[in-house]
Amino acid sequence: MPNAIAAVLAALLLTVAPERVQLEPATAAQVLAAVRAAEAEVVVVNVWATWCIPCREEFPALLRLRRDYGGRGVALLLVSADLAADTAATRAFLAEQGVEFRTFLKAEKDQAFIDAFDRDWSGALPATFLYDRAGRRLASFLTPLTYEALEREVRAHLPPRAPAGG
Amino acid sequence: MARIPLLLAALLLPTTALALAPGDAMPAREVKMKNVDGRELTLASAAGAKGTLVIFTCNACPFVKAWQARIAAIGNEAVGQGVGVIAINSNDPKVVALDGYEEMQQRARELGLRFPYVVDATSEVARAFGATRTPEAFLFDADGKLVYHGAIDDNSQDAAAVEAHYLRDALAALIAGRPVALADTKALGCTIKFR
Repeated sequence: MPNAIAAVLAALLLTVAPERVQLEPATAAQVLAAVRAAEAEVVVVNVWATWCIPCREEFPALLRLRRDYGGRGVALLLVSADLAADTAATRAFLAEQGVEFRTFLKAEKDQAFIDAFDRDWSGALPATFLYDRAGRRLASFLTPLTYEALEREVRAHLPPRAPAGG
Repeated sequence: MARIPLLLAALLLPTTALALAPGDAMPAREVKMKNVDGRELTLASAAGAKGTLVIFTCNACPFVKAWQARIAAIGNEAVGQGVGVIAINSNDPKVVALDGYEEMQQRARELGLRFPYVVDATSEVARAFGATRTPEAFLFDADGKLVYHGAIDDNSQDAAAVEAHYLRDALAALIAGRPVALADTKALGCTIKFR
């Protein structure tokens, strides 16, 4: 019961108004331009969809990674592969998850979109790609990731942390 | 160092790198699968004189729903042209309840499928093909060699706006005895929920 109350409170705190959600139609090339423009040490690109159960399940881990590592040079770019007809549901989900930062909506034919990220990607969702500051792909994960796995991968590409207080 | 197991795990997971490539022989030919009519059949028994179309599909995926009328039309047409057609559901109904057997029967009736829609009860057929998503098509020639793998066409959202009819074109080439021009295509899809 206390857990249920905590979950409700957390949901209330996270929720943003759907009209504040930023969902920009974009091609893969435009997403990759945003990767370079992020000027982050590691850019995590996650392709997801509202109807994709494993995508929804891993979503909180991605947002937690952004909260925990946003200040350490990690950027998160979320790309929805939802159908254009489902934009209202996409916005509602992002709002419910408390996503107030810029996100993208796939606006291109599948084959070109898929191959621009990774030719070995079959198109199954979710898919997560790591890029460096210059936009070079560091890794592809064509399967859902846990927070621990995400953190491990991202940390492996971050410069060593300066000692605290140093 | 901690990255190595994860990288290995990623390599071992099914990706297109492990999917059948053009020219590969049809795998899992003798695995028995239960059809929506209650009978058991195998890929070998579903083969046609001119070739065999295998489509991994399911009941609930939005991309399957977007394409299912086109899949039914293409499949029904191919059956009349000497191509064996078989739709396979490899999803675990424990993950997606709508992928149960009764729902498959209902779907086959609604769509008027004139070809089998079978249960891959252990997902082993999908694994043998290296299939990862739904819908995903594999077309084999009369000798059981893969001639096409991939998407139905280039526009799941709008049947009227399709520019490249990948699967239709591959079938037409196969039936006419011509080589398939575009043998491997991709589309976004739902992951197969492996058992």
